[in-house]
Amino acid sequence: MKLPECAAALVDLALKAGDPYSAAAVHVIAAGKARRKLEELMFSKRRDALALARWEHTPASVLEALCGASDEAIVVRLDKNQNTPAQAISRLYVTESLSSKNSLSLTVLVAQHRHASLAVLRNIAQFENDEASLLAVSKNLASNSEVLSMLLSRFESNSILEALQKNISEHPSTSPQLLEQLYDKGDVYVKAAVIGHANCSQRLIDQAVQEESVLIQRQLAADRRLSNDVISRLSLHQDKSVRCAVASNLTAPKDVIKSLATDDSDVVRRVVASRSDLTAHSINSLMNDPDVWVRQKLARNSIVPYRVLAKLSQDLQADVRRGVARNAKCSVKLLRVLAKDEDYWVRSAVAYQRRTPKQLLVDLVEDTAVDVLSGVANNPNTPQKLLKKLTVSKEADVRRGVILNQSATRLTLLPLLEDAYYLHRLMLVANTKLKDKDKWHLCFDPDFQVRFAAFRYFANSFIKSGS
Amino acid sequence: MSTILVIAEHRRNELRPVTFELISAAQGLKKSADDKVLVAVVGSQAETFTAALSVSGVDEILKIPAPVSEFDPDVYEAAVSALIEAKQPSVVLLPHSVDSLGYAATLASKAGYGFATDVFIVEYQGSDLVATRGGYNQKVNVEVDFPGKSIVVMTIRASVFKPLEGSSSPAVSSFDLPTVQSRSQNKDFVEQGGGNDIDITTVDFIMSIGRGIGEETNVEQFRELAETAGATLCCSRPIADAGWLPKSRQVGQSGKVVGSCKLYVALGISGSIQHMAGMKHVPTIVAVNTDPSASIFTIAKYGIVADIFDFEEELNSQLAA
Repeated sequence: MKLPECAAALVDLALKAGDPYSAAAVHVIAAGKARRKLEELMFSKRRDALALARWEHTPASVLEALCGASDEAIVVRLDKNQNTPAQAISRLYVTESLSSKNSLSLTVLVAQHRHASLAVLRNIAQFENDEASLLAVSKNLASNSEVLSMLLSRFESNSILEALQKNISEHPSTSPQLLEQLYDKGDVYVKAAVIGHANCSQRLIDQAVQEESVLIQRQLAADRRLSNDVISRLSLHQDKSVRCAVASNLTAPKDVIKSLATDDSDVVRRVVASRSDLTAHSINSLMNDPDVWVRQKLARNSIVPYRVLAKLSQDLQADVRRGVARNAKCSVKLLRVLAKDEDYWVRSAVAYQRRTPKQLLVDLVEDTAVDVLSGVANNPNTPQKLLKKLTVSKEADVRRGVILNQSATRLTLLPLLEDAYYLHRLMLVANTKLKDKDKWHLCFDPDFQVRFAAFRYFANSFIKSGS
Repeated sequence: MSTILVIAEHRRNELRPVTFELISAAQGLKKSADDKVLVAVVGSQAETFTAALSVSGVDEILKIPAPVSEFDPDVYEAAVSALIEAKQPSVVLLPHSVDSLGYAATLASKAGYGFATDVFIVEYQGSDLVATRGGYNQKVNVEVDFPGKSIVVMTIRASVFKPLEGSSSPAVSSFDLPTVQSRSQNKDFVEQGGGNDIDITTVDFIMSIGRGIGEETNVEQFRELAETAGATLCCSRPIADAGWLPKSRQVGQSGKVVGSCKLYVALGISGSIQHMAGMKHVPTIVAVNTDPSASIFTIAKYGIVADIFDFEEELNSQLAA
């Protein structure tokens, strides 16, 4: 069958296929009578309509078309489906509010929906009394500071207040003013969340220095606005979680980090080992650390010099050697040594490493471990000849590695269009190396997900080209 | 007096642990002291398993010598079918394994026996035998009874019944395998690649990471967390495809089904159908995800709408305290 030349021809084909998923894929490009026919095909069986209302990949236009359904089971699925567009959610909210059966559970679903409009959220915040719905608004990322403030002002003392304060103190849209209010009224958890909030004011940071709570001190220690004096003081805190937070603070002065590199706690030294501003003195101390996680994190740190990596590449612990092999700056010389490591997981790290040269990948393809072969298949440095060989591997993971390889050419990928595993054919639908004529037959694939993806791909192509 | 027949499962000269779980399930089905538990073992080396099968709860061991050492669906179907004809057991218990899937349904269908698969509770309610299995993607427990069936075949889910302790001295006898034309041939045994990593299908506590971890450098902190918590760190497909964790740690349709897992903590996993195929049966699933609408929450017993890094930090500090 020939590739259709216009959107209408593609829609016709989907109709002829008689498959609700193919119909859903082209619904957005259909108009008039054709669109009605597609809807008939998709919704005439209740089972198909329910499945489409729930499916995470159902296009917004199909969900919108389903929005008028009176079937409550469909409405619940539309409220839950995160692809349901904003307009449809607003309409569902209005219909549900006016309904004599006004269902609170549906209001909660609308209140937590990511496409719920500000008008709907404001309405719920202002007029609904159901706690679950109000809490859902306070967590919804679509809520703005005005809606959050409105929620908080409604409840001066109520069982819901504590939960609202907690949610709003963590909400990214909470304004500095609202955070100040929350800090004054909230418990220690709310205060800690406020201090850790990106919009927290300098005034509150300064005020929090006086707090004794470890939770608050931990949040504070990670703040980049702290003075060196405060950071130094917190680096001596008796609680290791606070010292950990200091170790992760990018503005911590070098002498503080140098001191934390020899901290009594393993977990603090582990955080230090990942820093990109380590001094030679700290690196020397950490490379001989008794804790394997510290050495492993140092091995991955791209600022570590060759001399140190060479030593860590001989570590008795495979995880440390793997760290070296995954280090973005690992030299080819070390990779050659690690490619012969006794541990397959170290060799796998070499196979995935972008610095591994072609010849080493050619050697690694003789390995028997699937993780190593997958790495070779994934690596953009692998020669096409080798990739072609891997497309017929009996291991699905290895064949998938070739599909994921950004350097795999069209000729290499072509045989994988017939791969036995549906997921592989599905992944190839979006592959830009393949031509449309290569993928066209996937519209008639035995698997419904592949058919849907293929029809959708061609429908989107027509949208982009305007034909 | 009734007889409960257990079909032992073995691979590469070793009995599979599920065999002992079946014996425990069979013991629970005895209605009177006269009832007997027979364990049948099929294969060219059936003789070698009698000592290992002489455990508490077994009344008789039946050796069925066969020309093949490893599992063969035609041989097993013929052997078990003939054995049922001869012994007329009230219940036949098989492991819910890839081996049993190769012949159990055919066997039951051909002879018109009662049949239930993936059973995790089996008991008598009065005089009625009732099997419980999952339904609707394990969302509900379905009780199955077998009206009018005097023989019922069931495949039993692994890691549900606790093997009985102690040994016994059961009678040992042989049973002749009828003539059978096998349609398959065991040529070689291929060990799945992945080296010497832990077998995630046998562990009971798993922490699993998904796309939510963002970057490879973040994997280590979750490995640390899993180690501190005593869990095995697993992952969804994209993490294994990127080479961040071994393929042997991948849960789901492309990976493994974590059959023995009792507690599964899903971190930053949205819950694709393919991933859930490997873990939805776990009795306690804890999901942590910033997206309240993530599919994983539909199967989770406990859902936490939170950033996995905040969760990791807090849990680590609680575990360290």
